[in-house]
Amino acid sequence: MTVGDSLMLKLEGLKVAYGAVEALHGIDLEVRRGELVSILGANGAGKSTTLMAVSGLVKPKSGRIIFYTDDGRQEYLENLRSHQVVGLGVIQVPEGRRVFGPMTVEENLKLGAFSRKKWSEDDLKKVYQLFPRLEERRHQMSGTLSGGEQQMLAIGRALMAAPKLLLLDEPSLGLAPMLVKSIFKAIKEINLSGVTVILVEQNARAALKLANRAYVLDVGSVVLTGCAEALLTDEKVREFYLGTR
Amino acid sequence: MLEFLEQLTNGLARGGIYALIALGYTMVYGVMKLINFAHGELFALGAYLGYCLLVSSNLIGGLGPVLAIGLTIILVMGLVALAGHLLEKVAYRPLRHSDRLAAVVSALGASIFLQNAIMLTWGAQYRAYGANLLPNLLITVGGLKIPLIRIVVLFSALVVMLGLRMFIHRTRLGLAIRAAAIDQKAAKLMGVDVRQVITVVFILGPALGGLAGLMVGLYYGQITFNLGQLYGLKAFTAAIIGGIGNITGAMVGGMLLGLIETLGAAYISVGWKDAFTFLVLIMILIVRPTGILPERVVEKL
Ligand SMILES: Nc1ncnc2c1ncn2[C@@H]1O[C@H](COP(=O)(O)OP(=O)(O)OP(=O)(O)O)[C@@H](O)[C@H]1O
Ligand SMILES: [Mg+2]
Repeated sequence: MTVGDSLMLKLEGLKVAYGAVEALHGIDLEVRRGELVSILGANGAGKSTTLMAVSGLVKPKSGRIIFYTDDGRQEYLENLRSHQVVGLGVIQVPEGRRVFGPMTVEENLKLGAFSRKKWSEDDLKKVYQLFPRLEERRHQMSGTLSGGEQQMLAIGRALMAAPKLLLLDEPSLGLAPMLVKSIFKAIKEINLSGVTVILVEQNARAALKLANRAYVLDVGSVVLTGCAEALLTDEKVREFYLGTR
Repeated sequence: MLEFLEQLTNGLARGGIYALIALGYTMVYGVMKLINFAHGELFALGAYLGYCLLVSSNLIGGLGPVLAIGLTIILVMGLVALAGHLLEKVAYRPLRHSDRLAAVVSALGASIFLQNAIMLTWGAQYRAYGANLLPNLLITVGGLKIPLIRIVVLFSALVVMLGLRMFIHRTRLGLAIRAAAIDQKAAKLMGVDVRQVITVVFILGPALGGLAGLMVGLYYGQITFNLGQLYGLKAFTAAIIGGIGNITGAMVGGMLLGLIETLGAAYISVGWKDAFTFLVLIMILIVRPTGILPERVVEKL
């Protein structure tokens, strides 16, 4: 399968409101099978809201969220509840990691596989291969892990669900540059192993180096979209998001 | 010494009853961060349903004590669980997206409603299970005479608590409950159906509370319509002592409360037993505001 030969996710005119305040004013977005698509934008642009709508944690005011399954069905995610979305293989790593602090690393990973009927020790092994640090700390309470280790755990936990589409919300948040590098390397590896990825980031330069394509959000609307290489050299993007260097 | 052991076993049985009620408060709080003020009334409902089956319908006469008690336990737990489920549907679910305080008001309303319903159904006077309901057997252990019913109460409370712990720690649904208690949103992202989890805790908690009500009837012999108030308040305190939201804590807190109360009544003053009990509880909370369990043991649910 070549990257991007068929649609996996399509947002059509997605509007989300919190009470009277509209956070998304009609987002159109497409992700193709095997792609790594980045969503960029400043604080409050609506990046997390977009992912939450896909995951079924906030209900859209209007618009559609269409997920195309491997066997050619179309699922309208806006009508599903969150556990049903997870059941389709749409797995989110939320902003701020949200690991289950009072549980051990391994319990967290097992909980990641909650939606699957069957999983094996092999799945655990694969996660430990990607993040050896987690194996060293498998019996440690995850609340006592460092920020970077918690991020690895959050991603590892999502992998335990055997994701088809992985939604990552600011995985580099608050991490030292060295760690960001290794997390991003892991994300690329996951993507190359066949998992389609949506990567929400404020660290635009790093994200664009990784992504195939990107969308730039600003106060609830898509203001720019294109292939990552082009955006990296785009004047406007350089000015607003990359800093002129 | 014998006198002390006598009081000790009595305190443990009483503590087991408190623990069962406290578990209902703590499980619901753990998952929903809501105090189910109507829980004490569900407990009282259990006591009255037991009365209804054992005394009014004279199940023991028909089936013999063992079978009758077994059947009563199952029916009481099932019916109170059903009541708890209905309560959740009617009083709490419609308020899922509203303000916290709205749910508190609804809980208080449900509590008053249930208490009145019990009074209107069974009357405001005391109802007696009767001293001769069960054969008055005494078990003698090295000079210590323990009523059989005390052993039955303590033993079944322990079995149920152990079962609950296994359910929470060994089953898939138990895992879902623990996850939802720690972080509902994250649990949803793992594929946990949080609505189902809420349904389950509103069935389990009331079932245990109802069983405790039946035990009070059998152990103390008489019940009254506002039974749920004081027991509810004390069990709620036990849950807080154990660290609310913490299952092991509720068990420990309930047991401790039963012991303090019984020993206080025996060796200090019967009349001041409630005052004394709450004094001790308040002192514990001043020293350890988050509950008695050491930090490391504090795992939500
Ligand atoms: N639960 C909520 N209730 C009310 N308003 C909200 C809620 N969550 C987000 N918002 C608002 O919606 C808008 C978009 O927020 P969102 O979290 O999606 O932004 P973001 O792009 O993820 O920002 P950041 O980079 O800071 O994470 C913001 O104006 C925010 O204040
Ligand atoms: Mg965000």
